[in-house]
Amino acid sequence: MSGFSIFDKTSSLHSIYVTLMVNRIQMLYFVIILPVFLIYPYMIWVIILVGFLSQMSIFLLSKWFNSIYASKGYEGFAELLGERSVRVLAFIGLGLILLKITVITLGYVEITQHFIFPSLNTNWMILFILLICWYVGSLGMAPTIRFVVIAFLSTAWMVLLLVNFLFQPSNTIHDLFPLVPFDWTIESWKGVLFIFSALSGPEYLVLLAPWFNTRKKILKYMTIGNAFTIFEYLFLFIASLFFFGPHYLKEIRFPMMEVMRYMESPVFERIDMILISFYLINFVFAISIFILLFYGASRITLKKSKEQTTKSGFAFCCSIVFICLFINNELFWKEATNQNILLELEIWAGALTYILIPLFLFTSLKRKGRV
Amino acid sequence: MNHKHAKIIFIIFVNIIVLFGCSPIVEKNLVEEIAPVTFWSVQKGDEEKYRMSTLIPPLVKEKKRLLTVQVDLLKEGVKGFNLKYYRELKLGQLRMLLISEEIATEGISPLIDTILTDPDISKRIYLVIVKGDFDEYINSQLGVQQDLDYYLYRMFKHYDNQGKMTVVNLHEFMKALHSPSHSPVLPVFEANNENFQYLGTGIFKNDKLIETTNNLEEQIYQLLSNDHFLKYFTLRDLSFVLGHVKADIQLDINKAYSELMLTVQLDGRLDEIAREHDSLTRDELSRFELEIESYLEKQTADFLKKLQENKVDPLHFRNHTLRPFSKPLEEKEWSDKWEQMEVKVDYDLKLQPLKDIKN
Repeated sequence: MSGFSIFDKTSSLHSIYVTLMVNRIQMLYFVIILPVFLIYPYMIWVIILVGFLSQMSIFLLSKWFNSIYASKGYEGFAELLGERSVRVLAFIGLGLILLKITVITLGYVEITQHFIFPSLNTNWMILFILLICWYVGSLGMAPTIRFVVIAFLSTAWMVLLLVNFLFQPSNTIHDLFPLVPFDWTIESWKGVLFIFSALSGPEYLVLLAPWFNTRKKILKYMTIGNAFTIFEYLFLFIASLFFFGPHYLKEIRFPMMEVMRYMESPVFERIDMILISFYLINFVFAISIFILLFYGASRITLKKSKEQTTKSGFAFCCSIVFICLFINNELFWKEATNQNILLELEIWAGALTYILIPLFLFTSLKRKGRV
Repeated sequence: MNHKHAKIIFIIFVNIIVLFGCSPIVEKNLVEEIAPVTFWSVQKGDEEKYRMSTLIPPLVKEKKRLLTVQVDLLKEGVKGFNLKYYRELKLGQLRMLLISEEIATEGISPLIDTILTDPDISKRIYLVIVKGDFDEYINSQLGVQQDLDYYLYRMFKHYDNQGKMTVVNLHEFMKALHSPSHSPVLPVFEANNENFQYLGTGIFKNDKLIETTNNLEEQIYQLLSNDHFLKYFTLRDLSFVLGHVKADIQLDINKAYSELMLTVQLDGRLDEIAREHDSLTRDELSRFELEIESYLEKQTADFLKKLQENKVDPLHFRNHTLRPFSKPLEEKEWSDKWEQMEVKVDYDLKLQPLKDIKN
């Protein structure tokens, strides 16, 4: 039996995977609560503007993908930044990845508890989700990346279900008025920050660069993914504006889920249960990727990146993640969105990493090029 | 340890958890042990706050009976039903909430908020205001009509979005309640021991019922809201019935918000004339048209006047003041302006006679 190697880089995947990954990583928990933070119709323009900002980040990221360092993975980073600083960065990354996993998992678990299993102890859900992710992750990096196709196919069509909410007889175009802001408050800035944070995620793809083959047209593929996300955001937001009206929207905790709950099907009464379950596939994909990154980052931090990956090491990482989630779930996760310290942190962390990582990589590339 | 062993151990592990009562799911849903109810009727209690009743068993072929509890809290009632009945009542199939008029005039927010927060209850649940004693009606019909609750639900479903009567579900009610005009509507039914009949549209101010439309107002309301269609438009005062009336509505509010101009283009058939007249000529037809127009103009203006006096806006006229690039009126400002607004109504009627007319 050959060694257990998670980070095997023998296969090189087509760039279409980048498109799907950019899109699915941007469509996680934040999408579900997106309308709560936006509320006002003028945020339609903000989504488009922030989408362009996100495109800037993606442009900078694509510069990294085109550089000679990208395909080398860890060695590339070490060559560019020096081994010591890579270790420091990996250590910071551990915290950020853990925070991201925490927020998306606990967010999803909260939704499941609210809509499907009201009497369930949430720690069980966390355990089950992480068991699945552990299984997916232990297959290795390349299969997990390939898993994005399944995640995409099983969740992307959900948007189509909302089409008929755009054409309800009670809808009037007046629900979208006024289209320009008249008082721009701190809340509106928060909305901007939130959208940008929701769009974050693709910056982690730089760590996966060695698994992709052609890097020439990477910008095009990433742009398609990003544009599709913006389209989905706009669509979901407009549909929820029509469905709730801007004034009622403020009162709703999970607008997307409530819309799904309202759907009617002649066969199933609770169509939302099925859709929420399908959505788990997307979450499993993202969490598996992040757990693998977590494992990789902790190996770098502990100076063990040259050694063989082990099953027990990976399982140990998973259990650390589980313990962290368990503690956060018990102590810090608050159900109200505006008082949730973890969510608040993730909004800032997501936005900051999405702007700083591309900038940092781009400037270091420039400096190296000049020297 | 190979793959097969890992799988077996995993299955044993899961089974241990489930079999030894550590199952993470506490609720049981065996079909034989539950009874999904289809409606709740909430009336004012004698000593307690509410008297709740529901029909059990709702779907199985057993003798049905009405279950009633007196409670102070809505969910206490749910518990009360379970204590009285051998099967557990489940709320997943709850389709109608009938609220008595007395409660509605005092405000239905406490009731609505309770059912709103329960994820088991669909947002499509129909809300109905009942005048009179609904329990009495159900009790008298138990032996006569089977599956009455189901057919009541089908009735609401049938008329949903048809413009023949007001049918409102929880979501639509909440959306209207939170909109800046705060004037939701609900259907009002009258119940006694023989009949359960539609009375009109109950107009709410915030969560309190303030007004129920009468017969003519109801028809005008249906024409102006919903999808602008009436199958029969009975004008009892003029002894006419118009059929298949379609309305095309234009609404103009001037810049200063002091004047509202409502232009209604009506197309319909003259279905019935219950007055003495000779064979219908073109002159006579246009005379009828003028007569109906001026009558409707007056009645509509009166109806709108009444809404203005009550400061309610169930027809969402406020929406027409919204522009893409101008600041919307504040709620208070709008309600003052609306109260003072001068309303002009203009009907333009085109009648189609049922038989050929002579010149």
